[in-house]
Amino acid sequence: MDTNFPQNNFTVPIGPQHPALKEPGLFKFVVDGEIITGASVRLGYAHRGIEKAAEGRNWVQNLYLIERVCGICSHIHALAYCLAVEQLANIQAPPRAQAIRTLVAELERIHSHLLWMGVSAHEAGFDTLFMYAWRDREKVMDLLEGLTGNRVNYSANLLGGVKFDIGTAQAQSIREGLNFIEDRVRHYQDVVTHDEMFLQRTRGIGVMTRAQAEVMGAVGPTARASNVPRDLRTIAPYAAYSQFPVQMILDTRGDLEARFEVRLDELFESIRLIREILNALPESELTIRMPRRIPAGEAVVRLEAPRGEVFYFIKGNGTDKPERLKIRTPTICNLNSVVHLAIGHQLADAPMILAGIDPCFSCNDRMVQVSKVKDGSEHDMTWKELRQYGIDYYRQLSK
Amino acid sequence: MGVFGTMFGDISASLFRRPATEQYPLKRREAPLTLRGLLNLKVEACTGCGLCAMDCPADAIQVIMLDRKTKRFVMNYHIDRCTFCGQCMESCNRDALSMSSDEWELAALDKTPFLIHFGNPNDVEQSLAGTPEGGPATPEHD
Amino acid sequence: MKPILTIIALWLFPSGLFLLIAGLLYQWFDRKLLALLQNRIGPRWFQPFADTLKLLAKEEIIPEGVNPYLFVGLPPVALAGALTAALYVPIAGLAPSYGFSGDLIVVLYLLSLLTLCMGLAGTNTLDRFSLIGATRTLTQLFSYEAPFLLAMLGPAMAAGSWQVGTITAYAENHWLILTQPLGFIVALVGLMGKLEMPPFDAPEAHTEIVSGALTEYSGRGLATFNLGRAVELVVGLTLVSAFYLGGVSNPLLFVSKTLALLFVMVGLQALLTRLRIDQTVGLWWRYGTLLVLVQWFIMILG
Repeated sequence: MDTNFPQNNFTVPIGPQHPALKEPGLFKFVVDGEIITGASVRLGYAHRGIEKAAEGRNWVQNLYLIERVCGICSHIHALAYCLAVEQLANIQAPPRAQAIRTLVAELERIHSHLLWMGVSAHEAGFDTLFMYAWRDREKVMDLLEGLTGNRVNYSANLLGGVKFDIGTAQAQSIREGLNFIEDRVRHYQDVVTHDEMFLQRTRGIGVMTRAQAEVMGAVGPTARASNVPRDLRTIAPYAAYSQFPVQMILDTRGDLEARFEVRLDELFESIRLIREILNALPESELTIRMPRRIPAGEAVVRLEAPRGEVFYFIKGNGTDKPERLKIRTPTICNLNSVVHLAIGHQLADAPMILAGIDPCFSCNDRMVQVSKVKDGSEHDMTWKELRQYGIDYYRQLSK
Repeated sequence: MGVFGTMFGDISASLFRRPATEQYPLKRREAPLTLRGLLNLKVEACTGCGLCAMDCPADAIQVIMLDRKTKRFVMNYHIDRCTFCGQCMESCNRDALSMSSDEWELAALDKTPFLIHFGNPNDVEQSLAGTPEGGPATPEHD
Repeated sequence: MKPILTIIALWLFPSGLFLLIAGLLYQWFDRKLLALLQNRIGPRWFQPFADTLKLLAKEEIIPEGVNPYLFVGLPPVALAGALTAALYVPIAGLAPSYGFSGDLIVVLYLLSLLTLCMGLAGTNTLDRFSLIGATRTLTQLFSYEAPFLLAMLGPAMAAGSWQVGTITAYAENHWLILTQPLGFIVALVGLMGKLEMPPFDAPEAHTEIVSGALTEYSGRGLATFNLGRAVELVVGLTLVSAFYLGGVSNPLLFVSKTLALLFVMVGLQALLTRLRIDQTVGLWWRYGTLLVLVQWFIMILG
């Protein structure tokens, strides 16, 4: 993901360690004064080899490994895995379990969007909104802790159902919490759309037209803010979304302000959906028995995480361990837009544009393939060669 | 044209309100009952089947069978490996495992409190004398 | 007797040690009040002192490619500038004993010396962030200096003198905030720009350029710059409150007025988003200068 830039300009590296980034990633901006003239991205700093590690654990153990792909959207990853494995085994989880899974997913969306709003405000220098948004997010975390047993990595899913039920007392506390959150989010929507100085940092910044969004493959709220109608909960409903439909939120402006609006409106949709599910939870058992050895086959699942489309491909070979697990998370689709949109803006807008796509680097890290370019040949380096190259490089530096 | 200082109401109200910070450890809030804290085994209910050890994603449980016929076994639980996911509770079909909701402050200054042995005291003694501690996946069930 | 008094005045009270301690206490007030406005507990009273002591105890790393004499020598020069500026302002309500005619300009330039040193320190290194931060610092210095100077000269014109002591004495009888409100606004906002307080903290916007001009500094150098900033805070507050808020004739009035002004500044800090550097310059060169010129016009007419 590179754009051509001349060699005599000034390169500012944002990352891998930088106060603007919550996770490591390298963004090289070539600036001319304060205007960005070129940008490039380099990932790989948080790669943990989860896809490979999943091949050595059985289906049940993998559920908890997959949850830890990302901290903010952990339930979605676990849900995708469960749906894919259930698809392989040709088993449908009972309706009450699907509804509870959807409820936790929407609660997670609320917490993720509140987190994002705080972080974006912090990047803009509006620390007060950051502090207040995160203070109110604690309410959602408490709700999730009371419901599932943990604030992050909820472990709500089981292969074939969910672990817990929602009783009337639980439902009542969730409703009260939601009322509080709804009031506060209405206030934040007011702030974000009317505060003059905050608007100066978000209005007209990072404008992405619909054509650009479709070409660059943007997903999630980033794309919906540019009027691209991509929302998997409405296009391809999964879990309980066919029974409890969601309205797609679109915005035509495509700038940062539009992304704020889309995410805040999604918050209201999530709150409405949770209330609807609580009022109409279907009666059934919570889990269904899953075999230890899942039959061979391939399964593809696409879900709508808070950041966009999450894509899972699982291949089983009839044993109790998966053969191949492939995860494609939304941030990697949206990163391209950052690199292209940043050009022409000021350096001060770059962290804002990056925050606007809601980046989550630990989700999307990939292995970096290093090819030897010094002597002109282009073969892939083996691990041994790479290690030796590093040793020689630093030995030569210290001479 | 927008408004200046939209958060004015919030910040002026905060001057007269208590700060939202939780002053842990001076004030400890009660955790909800569903919190997944420290694991506990009811030895009488356990049969030593080892399903929990098989399904643990972190290899935190080992079931060491001392004598299969008389059902003498010991369960070793490594707190430092546990991720508190609760899968062992679900895998157990005898309801022998539960997670505490008020024991979650588990930091320690050395590694000795991190290995807990569940079982009859005689069995535990015998296992400590015989088998090596803290090895990889369970000797009996893998 | 005179030399001993001079030494005490320069090193202990009201300049020197007293000023350093007062500066750090004012920094604490700033941080604590900002935290309370954001509904959280702030630091305890000794936090800035602990920070300074910790920094002084750490190793000072001199990066490659800098001029070591400049690198090590700029922080003390900056601190010295700020401390010297304090000799001509009524700190703690005491009349400045070293005043001379025209020392208002000297005070303002000594305060600018601090910012200039930070800008120089930024350009001295090879680090990208420092260079961008230094550029922004100097840009901001050029943009707010003119309106701020004119806003400070408003009371000078009303008092008919360019000596800080005389202006303060005049201001004790006339509350210039009432007769020159526009000038007060420009002075207040200009002070926030001079101190690089949010929303004018683009030069040290830590979500964009790590720490701006001072990115490469650690240990002693950073501690000295921070102390210089703390002293600048006190001196700037004293200047603006002495001119516009009716003079500071005794220590109690000094503390209450400067803290009241700091309260307003912290409130603005909590309320507003950081401005980009081009927006800051645009704001100043359009509204700031305009307001001050309108104020002068009114003053000349009336």
